[in-house]
Amino acid sequence: MAIEIARPGKTSLIVQTPVMPAAGTLGFADEYRSLIDYASLGALVTNPTTIAPWRPTAGTRVVPLDAGVLAHTGLPNPGLSALVRQYRRAWAKLPIPVVLHLLGTTPAQAKRAAKLLDAVDEVAAVELGLGDDVGVDEAVALVRAAATVEKPLLVRLPFYECQELARPVAEAGADALVMTAAPRGTARDAEGGQLVSGRIYGPLIKPLVLRMVGRLRRELPADLPIIGCGGIHSPTDARDYIEAGAVAVQVDAATWAQPKMLERIARDLGGWIATRHADALLDEWHPDMEPAKAPHSRGTS
Amino acid sequence: MRETQAIVERIKRVNRGYQRLELAVDRSLSALLPGQALLVRRISKDYAAEIWHPYLRDLWFPVDVLASNILVVEQPAREQFVPGQLLSLLGPIGKPLRFRQKLRNLLLLAYATPPTPLLMMLPPLLEQGTSLTMVTMGSARDYDCAHLPEEVEIIQASDDHSWGDMVMTLGWADQIFALVGEGPELIRFAEIMRLIRSRRSDVPANTIFGIFQRQLPCGVGACQACMLPVRPSARLQCLDGPAFDLTQLRLA
Repeated sequence: MAIEIARPGKTSLIVQTPVMPAAGTLGFADEYRSLIDYASLGALVTNPTTIAPWRPTAGTRVVPLDAGVLAHTGLPNPGLSALVRQYRRAWAKLPIPVVLHLLGTTPAQAKRAAKLLDAVDEVAAVELGLGDDVGVDEAVALVRAAATVEKPLLVRLPFYECQELARPVAEAGADALVMTAAPRGTARDAEGGQLVSGRIYGPLIKPLVLRMVGRLRRELPADLPIIGCGGIHSPTDARDYIEAGAVAVQVDAATWAQPKMLERIARDLGGWIATRHADALLDEWHPDMEPAKAPHSRGTS
Repeated sequence: MRETQAIVERIKRVNRGYQRLELAVDRSLSALLPGQALLVRRISKDYAAEIWHPYLRDLWFPVDVLASNILVVEQPAREQFVPGQLLSLLGPIGKPLRFRQKLRNLLLLAYATPPTPLLMMLPPLLEQGTSLTMVTMGSARDYDCAHLPEEVEIIQASDDHSWGDMVMTLGWADQIFALVGEGPELIRFAEIMRLIRSRRSDVPANTIFGIFQRQLPCGVGACQACMLPVRPSARLQCLDGPAFDLTQLRLA
């Protein structure tokens, strides 16, 4: 199976299975190597990266919610140049394409990052993350600057502004849209007692984003791929996104609670068949751990 | 690091607030050492109906290893467990605690948290002849220590976090491990450092360690939620912790 997940025009981004991690969940390279078979995934989307180094936020970073989790890390990273030096060898060893998630800060920085990343062969594509509360003009300027990169440019839209930004961003040069970043919310940290703002992850995000994906799929040009992201916790969730019009999906915080679930979703959507022995004990049966049969051709894809 | 399953074999109440669970685990986990932890989530027997509670895995520090594949953990008595219950484990998380080679007097401080992460080290250190003192401060004083080895000296600090012979206790300790509750950990560790510095003239490096027990989303260094301000560069609790030299931490 080979799926093109970026609009034709530049170099293409072809994945073997339409499942990848969402930025910020799987690390910068192979942090999950002992728990996940990377070869089963479509691509690695790195943690968010900025031109300059960012430090972790002070205070509470994680707040458990009734049906999910709020996370606010401050997106620590060593800065783009240092990051490339640190991880390019690990990226080269990965059996899947690497999509570097670049945080959209300023157009000048986005342009600088694009130039730098063009020289990094280990990075197959760039995913530009637009900040929350970004205006249309600002978003367009950021995408135009980042689109100077010779590689495919995926743009991850913020949750609340997704509807408003999708078309202008697509017209500004996005080769694919990722819908969406996890929404921001506020919750009380039971331990510290204070209110904490951060991104919200959990199963309830899925119906909200799924509706957006379906609606925007009908409104946007048919050749613009949409990648669904939000609240995916099972192969069924992922298939719902594909049915709504997404060409691929990104799995977010479910991986933290169940690392094998990402692989299981990827194998399921990739057409790999896993079987369970009739007398297998529970802990002997993980579909993803079984020696799976090779994927069958499903015609053109 | 592996993802394995465990079965709750036995449950025993050890004091009015806590119970101990004996877990049949994968043999690889029987090599777990003091300081190393597990990320745990409860699962149902029906694989297809796995429950989503808790969404985040819980961080459990085992308190003992009984046989080649039996781990003992301590949990609040209010938590419901039944024999035969299945658990999904990610681990081991973190690095083992490092003790001085000629450790004679070890001081353990538990502030506003049950001392559970400190308990696994007690039997092997007592066997080596190390003198152990545990001071409970704040709400840690509610923890009933009656079931701990009687060779461990237990001291309850007063409301102002002082105790009798404080200067002597702090001065004699070759090494100190401090444990604080979740929440403003860096502030609490800073309080402990102030307390120690006010009673002890020198606090050299590699003497006082803070044990972090933050909630860990991933446990493998991917989410970066447990990054700590350590000199000279930030470190991750899940990979480099849980113990960090308090003289190297940028405390609040």
